[in-house]
Amino acid sequence: MKRILACLLAALLLGTAAVAEGTTITYMASQDWVQDAEMELGEKFEQETGIHVDYQIIPSDQYNNMLMNKLNSGECTDIFGSQAGQFDIVTQLNVEKNAVDLSGEAWAETVDPLAFAETSVDGKLYGQPVQDVSAVWAVAYNKQVFDKLGLSVPTNYEEFKAVCEAIKADGMTPIYEAVSDGWHHQLWFCELGVAIEHAEPGTAEKLNNNEMGFADSATAAQLVDQIKEMVDLGYWGDDYMSNEYANAAKAIASGECAMTVANQGFPTEINAAFPDFPAEDIGFFVMPLCDNQVLNMNPVGPTRFIYSGSANIDAAKQYLAFIAEPENLQYLIDNVPKFNTLPFTTVTDAYSDEISGFYAAYPDHGTVYQTSVKYVNPQWMEIGKELTAVLLGDETTEQMLKNIDRNRADQAAAAQDPAWN
Amino acid sequence: MNKNRMYPTWFIFGALLLYVVLYVLPSVMGIGYSFTDWSVYSQDVHFVGLKNFQTVFSADYNYNRMLGNTFLFTIVTTLAKNVIGLALAVLLTKKVKLLNFHRAVMYLPCVLSALIVGMIFKAVLNPKIGLLNTALRAIGLDALAKNWLTDSKIAFNSVMAVDIWKGMGYIMTILIAGIMSISPTYYEAAEIDGGNAWQCFRHITLPLLTPTLTVTTVLNVIYGLKVFDTVYALTNGGPGYATEVLYTGVYKEFGLGRYAVGTTLSSIMTVVMLIVGYFMIKHMVQGGGGEA
Repeated sequence: MKRILACLLAALLLGTAAVAEGTTITYMASQDWVQDAEMELGEKFEQETGIHVDYQIIPSDQYNNMLMNKLNSGECTDIFGSQAGQFDIVTQLNVEKNAVDLSGEAWAETVDPLAFAETSVDGKLYGQPVQDVSAVWAVAYNKQVFDKLGLSVPTNYEEFKAVCEAIKADGMTPIYEAVSDGWHHQLWFCELGVAIEHAEPGTAEKLNNNEMGFADSATAAQLVDQIKEMVDLGYWGDDYMSNEYANAAKAIASGECAMTVANQGFPTEINAAFPDFPAEDIGFFVMPLCDNQVLNMNPVGPTRFIYSGSANIDAAKQYLAFIAEPENLQYLIDNVPKFNTLPFTTVTDAYSDEISGFYAAYPDHGTVYQTSVKYVNPQWMEIGKELTAVLLGDETTEQMLKNIDRNRADQAAAAQDPAWN
Repeated sequence: MNKNRMYPTWFIFGALLLYVVLYVLPSVMGIGYSFTDWSVYSQDVHFVGLKNFQTVFSADYNYNRMLGNTFLFTIVTTLAKNVIGLALAVLLTKKVKLLNFHRAVMYLPCVLSALIVGMIFKAVLNPKIGLLNTALRAIGLDALAKNWLTDSKIAFNSVMAVDIWKGMGYIMTILIAGIMSISPTYYEAAEIDGGNAWQCFRHITLPLLTPTLTVTTVLNVIYGLKVFDTVYALTNGGPGYATEVLYTGVYKEFGLGRYAVGTTLSSIMTVVMLIVGYFMIKHMVQGGGGEA
């Protein structure tokens, strides 16, 4: 009997030892933030270290609420994904409390300076960028249409209107815009924060210090007015309210529309869906409302953070270090079609000549307002609703801008922002 | 069965405990949170008095519009479902060929999920490729082809119409049961006295159906006040804020992390429903709840 008990005890101890060897770290992220290539790297990581990575992918519309609830209840996963942004990581994520300081990691100094600034607080790095943040939202146009009509890339709003008129006169809808998704049409406003900043330097800082509101900016009002003018002149077509962005590639490839607002993954996407349409036939120019010629950069994207309450902080750090190894970053660039580069100084980009030419054509760069201005990104969908109300004539430009300011003030008050309290 | 058999009172405690823990306590806590600044931004919760109620009733926000839309939705859909449901019930208690088939067809929409109905009608009402506009154009009625869900002046009517279509079969079924419980002798007597169909309906069916209509009205009013899924699936409150109702507002507030404002809206609607429910039940008990 004693022998049997001893055997059982030994078996139990062996089993316990095996579990201790194979640590599992949990990583929660929104849909589309963890690519297949990263999971393949995760398997390689497990082979090398014996640490298993449990990827927990959450539908995007539920993710933010779930993350906030987990952080606030102290039950978060070892690694969590979240959009970065120098303001949002403080006001929403409270990274100084909820995340681990990664400044001492060897890879920290290889993070691109712009991305570093958006993932750090007081010089301390708290996150590791996940995706390519070099792509910008710009007007993607069908070069064949432009060539046929003898059009050239517009450099101001009047030229843009002339281009739209020529396309419309030819029987095409100039711009494919999709309002029904609720997230796309406000790009014309938020991305062009760079135009506001160019025309009224220091606006972002004043907005962040609560020294002015969007309603006080003449350029912001002009932007909204010009968006409405585009709609009223029929440049968005008759069906912009019911269009869905998923059909943008089809609308361009079929010749129904000539332009849409897209990022630099669009040519690959359109060619993949419609092989007869060459990716090279898509060109880009910045949205020229308010005569904008500044490239609208957004150095913020999904970011990995290590939860400060994790019991596996060292294992999580090992995973981040593994991902940041140059050959693994390059593996991601080479195997994820929408990645042209990653925000690390150790990688080689995979830009096409067309895309490189587009970036080179706009030497002036600015940061979009959903990143550089506090409390804009969290009300993204609300801004879309406000803009829709303006387009439909249910609201004035002034009301829209005042409502955005009011929503920002509400969020600032909830966050106990000293500039508002 | 022994009619004098009495069960101990404490048998009720199990069910009562569940009711208190799962319903009463969260409701009271929800109302309590309406007086705080509970939000996603801070783990600390502070008492703020009536500030959230001031926000909700302030003209600067869209909440008054949401409340107005909710009441409009409740009134219109309750009236329409009762009227159409009653007409169908009267029709489908007559001798009609394939009677059960017709009843099943009319009842069918209410067994569908509101989200599925929303997706179907979103496709049907698409202004460009939707079935409705395509059919209208095909028969030369182009002028009637509208932006059903994307025109802010029409969208709320479209949402209400879809909800009426979905819910009228359910009301019809309840009213059919009510009509069938009316003794045929009333109609036989009326026929002997020379009463026509309208007089039979006006003086027999309608009065004897009043208790059933009260029940369907209560059900519709409570459903209307807490409507969310149909609106969410069809328009998500848009275009702009044209079809926002109270619970799409609650959903939005929670999405923005303003939990206290969300619970304030819920608390207001709980109070409204309690008041409406109280008077309706009182009317049922006093009015004619015993007849039929």
